[in-house]
Amino acid sequence: MKFATRWPPVPAGILIGISMLLAFVVAGRGIGASGAMTRFVAWVQHGLFPATTEQSAYFGRYFADGAHPLNDYVVFLMVGLLAGSFVAAWLSGELRLEVLRGPRCSVAYRLVLALAGGVLAGFAARLARGCTSGQGLVGGAELSVGAWVFLMCIFAGGWMAAWFVRKQWI
Amino acid sequence: MDMIAPLAKTGVISASLNLWLAVPIGFIFGFALFHAGFTDSRRIAWAFYFKDVGVPVVMFSAIATGMLGLWGLSLIGFLDVSMVYMLPTFLVPMAVGGLIFGVGMVIGGYCPGTAAASIMTGKIDAMVFIVGFLLGSLIFGDFFPVWGDFYNSDYMGAFRLDQWLGIGLGPMVLIVVLIAVGGTLSMRFVQNKVWPSTEIDPQHKQVVKLQGALIAIAVLIGFAFAFFPSESFIDDRVETPYYIVPKATVDPGSGA
Repeated sequence: MKFATRWPPVPAGILIGISMLLAFVVAGRGIGASGAMTRFVAWVQHGLFPATTEQSAYFGRYFADGAHPLNDYVVFLMVGLLAGSFVAAWLSGELRLEVLRGPRCSVAYRLVLALAGGVLAGFAARLARGCTSGQGLVGGAELSVGAWVFLMCIFAGGWMAAWFVRKQWI
Repeated sequence: MDMIAPLAKTGVISASLNLWLAVPIGFIFGFALFHAGFTDSRRIAWAFYFKDVGVPVVMFSAIATGMLGLWGLSLIGFLDVSMVYMLPTFLVPMAVGGLIFGVGMVIGGYCPGTAAASIMTGKIDAMVFIVGFLLGSLIFGDFFPVWGDFYNSDYMGAFRLDQWLGIGLGPMVLIVVLIAVGGTLSMRFVQNKVWPSTEIDPQHKQVVKLQGALIAIAVLIGFAFAFFPSESFIDDRVETPYYIVPKATVDPGSGA
């Protein structure tokens, strides 16, 4: 049933807001997704080059005083997030291996752009100290000036680039 | 006055229980991301073409809910906001980060949370996006000395919109709610103009009624907030202990 799979945007957004509010009330902090990714790459790189990673100006703090980079709030959140979307998709019968793209777009073109977009977003999320959820939604609720500027700039950047990749989507 | 929340900071729950409670909180987040349609890269990208403005509407709704909850629980004396980590502002790095992030989002079709959620539903483009995302994070971290100074520039502390505009926090919350409602309605209008819908949704009326009622509740709470002075929400004389850089080292006159 279409309605059950895709909720109207307002109730869906409210449920995301409730998860954020629970984090405020329980942990005194917000939710986020990119932090877990950063800790994951730091952990992988540490496995290959322990000394370099521990001395890294950026990743070094994750290993201060013998800490494990994955033993952190954002990683536990990510585990829950992965389980939550899996269960939701499973209950809706939407588990399917596929490449999502517009009708005029080839699989190869889509995957090359997915990789390129990922690199840009990954770099930008570090520069902005968070992604759409951790910086945008949480900072938006906290009325942070930086978060609202970040959100406005996401849409400005997206609209500027949209024309160039229109073949991928529409 | 002793407040109960945040539970982990007031000692109601232990640090390790707090970590484990992050799993069910993340579960709700991931569950909602799926039902918002955020595991589909096309829906996310279509927002930038006004073909489907569901994404910004979901974001507005999430922000309004979190905002009304955060400041509302502070108002009734349940949540001590001085113990809640407030995100600091580094204005120009965040603006530049936002621009690049937006470009990455329309090219890649995801942001990190939605891509992670989408991987679990079997979407291969999301897996490739995450590989890129990890790579981008790695580049940022390994070459940090190149842009570290810029990253740490333009620090303004936990600087709020109401402080920036010089108005009360309550009225600011109301304004954000009204912006969310106005933004939702105007984007829907543009979508219907540019991409008129051809299929008829039999549940359209019920959906409009449900969403209209939820929005009306948010607006009413926002109006109630506007009557309270900022001090009933937050004591700005108390410096939050979570500042990365002490507020005192920031020259308030330097502004943006």
